[in-house]
Amino acid sequence: MEKSFEMDNGAAQKFAKIEFFPLTLPFRGGCKILLEKDKEDFFMDKTCIDVKNAAKEYDGRRVVDGLSFTVCSGEVFGLLGHNGAGKTTTIEMILGLKKPDFGELELFGLEAAKHRKEIFEKVGVQFQSSSYQAAIRVGEVCEEYASLYRKPADYQSLLKQFGLEKLTKSPVMKLSGGERQRLSVVLALIGNPEVIFLDELTTGLDVAARREVWRTLKKLKKQGLTIFLTTHYMEEAEALCDRICILKKGKKVIEGTVGEILQSSPYRTLEEAYLWYMGETVEDSEKEEADNNEAIL
Amino acid sequence: MKQFFKLYKIEQKLFFRSVDVFIFNLCMPVITLFLIGLIVGSKMAGDSGLTYLESSFAAISTVGICCSAFMSIPIVMVDYRDKKILKHFYCSPCSPARLLFVDMLCSGVMAALSAICVTITACAGFGYRMSGNVIIYIGAWLLTMISMFSIGLLVAALCKTVKSMNVAASLLYFPMLLFSGATIPVELFPKSLQLVAGYLPLGVGIRLMKGVSAGIPVAAMGREILILTLIAAVCITTAVKTFRWE
Repeated sequence: MEKSFEMDNGAAQKFAKIEFFPLTLPFRGGCKILLEKDKEDFFMDKTCIDVKNAAKEYDGRRVVDGLSFTVCSGEVFGLLGHNGAGKTTTIEMILGLKKPDFGELELFGLEAAKHRKEIFEKVGVQFQSSSYQAAIRVGEVCEEYASLYRKPADYQSLLKQFGLEKLTKSPVMKLSGGERQRLSVVLALIGNPEVIFLDELTTGLDVAARREVWRTLKKLKKQGLTIFLTTHYMEEAEALCDRICILKKGKKVIEGTVGEILQSSPYRTLEEAYLWYMGETVEDSEKEEADNNEAIL
Repeated sequence: MKQFFKLYKIEQKLFFRSVDVFIFNLCMPVITLFLIGLIVGSKMAGDSGLTYLESSFAAISTVGICCSAFMSIPIVMVDYRDKKILKHFYCSPCSPARLLFVDMLCSGVMAALSAICVTITACAGFGYRMSGNVIIYIGAWLLTMISMFSIGLLVAALCKTVKSMNVAASLLYFPMLLFSGATIPVELFPKSLQLVAGYLPLGVGIRLMKGVSAGIPVAAMGREILILTLIAAVCITTAVKTFRWE
């Protein structure tokens, strides 16, 4: 028996039909409600990021090749790989900054480029090496970015969390590299997002600063934040990530929890396992990074 | 609206922090008018029917426009794109177009401030009084501003790198400043150079403003109005189509 079902709070558009089963399921008094969209979502955690067979080519070089993975709400997902492996390009495709040559990349079930206003209220981004307007001060750049969102966080408390509250009136130009990096995380969080993208987050931070950032991110994760990060540092992936995906030349080598990845390798540390998956020794990995950097230039 | 004003307030503050803007936009035009007024102010400017002071008032009011349109706008836009600021705005619920519009507004405010300073110098310093309609004059100034800004926008859209933008901006700014009659009175030029000035976009705007300030009816200035409007329409449409956020 098929009939359309009216429900409140806008759920009606997701429901296409209700099938009545003779045997009762322990669900909604005996009827299994099939959703036209997001069918699987109903039976598992909400999918936040969904990448299916993404591919991108630059100058005949496949930067991302047949990449697929999903990230669920509330988890910390790490994308690992050498420079030039396709990590930043993957993030840019998810965010709609670059159009994939093939495949689908969805954020909250929608294409970012086509639903920007809706999606980016819930998304924060920290890019590698971004800079700011000349002569702008820390407090001002926070106010400026906060003005873009409907319900921004209190930037002063965010600055405090990251140890930058004394620098509110300083020009951003005068900040050290580490302070700048922390400011970029503050700006990623300023819109009160549900998911943040961190590209090479702790590059350039000293050990103490890095630990501080991890501590804050773990606290935010407990509050339900989904984190998608790329990193070079294995101890960071081990410390923060629930699941990781290792990329080599744009292709997925392996995906899983840190434990699973270690188990299917002959090694005990993530760094050695990573190198083993990449199929190389330490010397090989340095050579490949050099090749990738040359190709980019 | 409130969000828009927050963004505008911060960007405008940044404009005021730049020393270049202060010198080129405010000091230079005031000093130029002062010198012209002092040296040849009351002499008749060629066969235009105006004194040098009257003629230069209209011309020097466009120096602020020149500075904003051919320096500020391209530099700010390409700089923001280069610094990934526009990219960051793209990854927010607000379009980078809002930031660019805010910056155009800030540039417009700086140009207006320049014109105001020039007006105060002329009226308080030299007793200048306009014979034409002030409201129409302001309209002509606004039209010239929009037209020049659209050229600046196009330069920003077409230049892919900061280096090429610096070259393009300088190639536009200095010739327009010197040869369109904005600083050196066009009546002092030899006939051939006067012809060149007449073809430069800013020169067209200056001719319109001089005419309006002298009381010539708007209907007689139709050609200038049409040229400026066409420039604005073509440049804005092309700029919007070719602009890249990164």
